[in-house]
Amino acid sequence: MSLENLVQKDSGYSFGFLDSFAKRELRRRMLKAIAIPGCQIPYASRELPIARGWGTGGLQATLSIVGPEDVVKVIDQGADDSVNAANLRRFITRMSGAETTTDTNDASIIQSRHRIPEEILVEEQVLVLQVPNPEPLRRVESDMAKARMLHADADYGQMWLVLYEQLVRFGHYIQGASYPVMVHSRYVMAPSPIPRWDTPMLHQSQHLTILAAGREKRLYAVPPYTNVYPLEFTDVPFEVEDQADWVCRATEAVNKFMNEIPQDDGTSAFELSDSGYMEKLLSLMQGDDDVSVGDTYYDDEGNFYHDGYLKTKR
Amino acid sequence: MAYVATKGGEKAIQASEALYHHLKGEVTPELVQQISDTMPYLVDRVMGEGSLYAPQLAALAIAQSGGDVYEAVLLMRAYRSTQPRITYAQPLTADNMLTVRRISAAFKDIPGGQVLGPSLDYSHRILNLDVLDGTSNHEMPELEPADEPAEKSYPLVADWQRQQGLIAEIETDNDALDPADIPDVTRDPVMMPAPRAHRLQSLARADTGGLLALGYASMRGYGFIHPTVNELRLSHADVQITHPITGEPFSVGRVRVSQAEVVTKGKSSYKIGFNATMGWNEVKLIAGAALDMEMNQTEPHPALNEDFVLYHTEPIESSGFCIHFKLPHYVTFSSSMDNMRKVIKAMYGAKAAGEREDEAEEAEPTAETVIKDTM
Repeated sequence: MSLENLVQKDSGYSFGFLDSFAKRELRRRMLKAIAIPGCQIPYASRELPIARGWGTGGLQATLSIVGPEDVVKVIDQGADDSVNAANLRRFITRMSGAETTTDTNDASIIQSRHRIPEEILVEEQVLVLQVPNPEPLRRVESDMAKARMLHADADYGQMWLVLYEQLVRFGHYIQGASYPVMVHSRYVMAPSPIPRWDTPMLHQSQHLTILAAGREKRLYAVPPYTNVYPLEFTDVPFEVEDQADWVCRATEAVNKFMNEIPQDDGTSAFELSDSGYMEKLLSLMQGDDDVSVGDTYYDDEGNFYHDGYLKTKR
Repeated sequence: MAYVATKGGEKAIQASEALYHHLKGEVTPELVQQISDTMPYLVDRVMGEGSLYAPQLAALAIAQSGGDVYEAVLLMRAYRSTQPRITYAQPLTADNMLTVRRISAAFKDIPGGQVLGPSLDYSHRILNLDVLDGTSNHEMPELEPADEPAEKSYPLVADWQRQQGLIAEIETDNDALDPADIPDVTRDPVMMPAPRAHRLQSLARADTGGLLALGYASMRGYGFIHPTVNELRLSHADVQITHPITGEPFSVGRVRVSQAEVVTKGKSSYKIGFNATMGWNEVKLIAGAALDMEMNQTEPHPALNEDFVLYHTEPIESSGFCIHFKLPHYVTFSSSMDNMRKVIKAMYGAKAAGEREDEAEEAEPTAETVIKDTM
C-alpha cells in the first residue's frame, strides 16, 4: 500500500463544477423554496465560468440536481440551437456527463430562458427557468428590504394599482412577458420573462419548476399541482398574446407560440418558437415514424388544456 | 433542421472564440511573467475585484482575456469558486504591516511622519515618446538609499485622534474573534441592511470604476459629507495562519494590501469611513471610504444608500448583466409588440395597426377623433 494509492486522484473540478458545500446549500434552498411556493429564498450564488446574467442562476440549480443518469435539454427563447443554449448545454454535460437532448419528452431536466416548451411536462420532469429579476415589486419598490416587508405582509396593493393605471391609460394590461402571478394564494411572483402564452402552463402543472436568479441571488419554486393565477381584475381578464392567425411557415402548425420574422416586402413570416417541437413535427412530415409528439398545452384550436383557466377565447 | 442548427451553433461558438484568440496573439509563460512584473497596478486591480490574491493567476487572466479587465476578473472569480476553503488567516492590523506609503491630508505632519512611497501623484503626465523612437535611455531612475532604514510600522493617525477624544473609541478583541464567525459575502446571501463585514467585503471586491462613479457623485455634492483623507496606506502584510498540529502561528506569504480612512464632522465627534482591499488601488480606496461614510447617514441620497451602492458596484454582476443584452430577446420583445399593436389599434384604428383594410370592420377614426373620444 503506497501513499499514491491512498490519496484521491486530483480530478480538477468537482462533479457538476460546484463544490459540495455549494451544492448542498442550493439543494437546501430549493427544498425551502418548494415548501413555500413562490417565496424568494436568498442563496449565496457562486461565480461560474459563464458571464453573470447569462443564466448562472439556472445553471447553479441544474448543476446541483443533475446526475449522470439525467437527460438535459437547454433552450433559449424556445430554441435548442441558440448559441447561449448550446454553450450552457456543453458546460453541463462537460461537468456532469449527463446526456443531452432536444426532445422535451426525453428530458429529465429542462433549463430554459424565456420559454416553457409547448408539449405538456409531466411528473418527474424539472423545469429550471433562468431569472434576470426575481422581484415582481421592483418597479413599485426598488428598496429590496422594503419589498421583502411587502411580501411578508402580502401587501400587493401597488401591483394592482399598476394594472389599474395600465387599463386607464391604454385600455389594456400592457405588461408583456414576466406577467406577475399569484402563487398558492400567497406570494406574487415574477415567472421570469416567459411570454404570457406560457404563464398558464405553471398552473396545476405536473412538473416542478425551479426559478433561479444568479446575479440577484434568489431562488424560488412552483411545486407540482400548485395554483398559479395571473393578477387580473374579475371584469378585465388576462390575455395571452394574440397570434390566432399566425401559421408556422415550416410546419403549418397553428396556435403555438411563434417567432415573427420580418420579410423584405414588409410582411411577416411566422415560425414555431419551440425548436425541439418543430424538429419533431418536421420529422413526422418526412415520414419518420419513430418520432412521438406529446400532448400540448394548447390544442390546434387554441384551447388551453385546463378548461376555463383562460377567461377570454383566444 | 434544428439538429443541424444546434451543431451550427456550437461550431459558431468555437469559431468566434478562435477569432478572438487570433486577434490578441499567443499567451506564453513569458508574457504572463512580463505582465506580472510590469503591471502591478493592473494585476492588483484584477486581484482585488477578483477577490483572489494570486499575482500569477491574475497576470494569466489579463493575458488570456486580452486585457479586458471585466473578463479577467470573471476568470479569477470563477476559478475562486472551485477552490476549497482550507483555513482562516489571523486578523491583520494596520500597525502590524510593512507600510511603504502612508499619507494624511488632515495634518501637515503626523506621528511617524508622512511617507510618500511609490506614487505617480506629482509626476508630469507626459508621454515619453522617446521610447517609441528608440532614443530614450532605458536606464531606470536611480534609487537613493536613505540614511536610516524606514520604520517597520507606523502608528495610526486615528489612534492619536482617539486619544484626543476627537473620534469615538472602538472596542475590539481580536484574540476572542473566531474568523470563521465573520459573515462572508461569498458564502451568505447579502440581505439589507448588510452586516458591516458584508459591506466592507463588498467594497473590497467592488468595481473600481463603479465605486469611483458613485463616490464622485457623493463628493460632488449629491452626498452630505466632505471626506478628508485621514490616512491612506499601502502595505505588505504577512498572512499568518495557525499550524494545524503545533498551533503556532506562521506566515504563509506576503500580500500587497491597502486601506484608506476618511473623516467627516459628526455631531460631537468625527466620523470615520473605511475601505481596504487586496492590492494597491488608491482611487478605489478613497471612493469606497467616502461611500462607507455616506452609507452611514440616516437618510443618504437614494443613489448612495447601501442597497444601491453594494448592488451596483459588483463588477461581475453589473458587467455580466450589461453584456447579457447581447443575447436574443425576441420572445419578450414579441410579447411587448403584441401589447403595442393592441394599443395602437385602440388609439388609431386597425389600419394604423398594420392590418389589411378588408379586415378592418369599420372606417377607422382619425387620431384626432380618438383623442377627443378618450378625453
